[in-house]
Amino acid sequence: MMTPQDIAEERRQLRRMRMVSLLEGCTLLLLVFVAVPLKHLAGWPIATRIMGPVHGLAFVLYVWMLIQTVSGGGWSRGETVRMVMAAFIPFGAFLNERALARRQAALAPAV
Amino acid sequence: MDYLWLKALHIAAVATWAGGMLAAALTITAVTITAVTFAAAGSKAGGETAVPSATLNAVRRWDRRVTSPAMLLAWALGLTLALQGGWFTATWLMAKLALVVLLSALHGMLSGTLRRLARADGTSPPAILRLAPAGIVASLLVIAILVVVKPF
Repeated sequence: MMTPQDIAEERRQLRRMRMVSLLEGCTLLLLVFVAVPLKHLAGWPIATRIMGPVHGLAFVLYVWMLIQTVSGGGWSRGETVRMVMAAFIPFGAFLNERALARRQAALAPAV
Repeated sequence: MDYLWLKALHIAAVATWAGGMLAAALTITAVTITAVTFAAAGSKAGGETAVPSATLNAVRRWDRRVTSPAMLLAWALGLTLALQGGWFTATWLMAKLALVVLLSALHGMLSGTLRRLARADGTSPPAILRLAPAGIVASLLVIAILVVVKPF
């Protein structure tokens, strides 16, 4: 049985995870739909040279946060795999963010 | 920023990160052993778990406020150094990066396990985490050799 403090902590963790998920998703969209076209259509390779490492760092942070969240317990293998796979797909992070929001809402409110 | 400044800050961040990971790994081992010992002895008093619980909370706070930011700083400064030096084609750096990825994953597991143990319904951590302290020290030894000696 989770105490109100446990529930509040779990909600904070899910909120942080949602923020990182959105960050990862936004950097992927900027890379794929802005930086890559700028490089190939406008001849600005600097765009991918900047956005590539930025998205790389955001992805590392996302995977790290996911490991941390899942290690806290309560996640099935299927849910974990889905969270990893969606991070590779443009707009997938937004599906993840919604799934995390539902999980957060399902937790009983902290008293 | 000057190379030597970046390097000094990177080393400080890595030392802080590694120290925090070791503290987390040893705390998890100690709390698990204590829980198993009390369970075997048929624990009677709630106060007996107060000391491990206070330690656990202190280590969790340290992990969130110091160790995790130190890890991010180590990554950012390390990648900046590698870009500046043009070392991304070097084999030693690739080997080091693989170990750093494993250490980061281990840190994520340790961090999540600290949260799990602190919960009232906290279940026991994965058995593999008992090897974490030895794994951290061994990885740091190999990383130091790779970076200083650059054997390949």
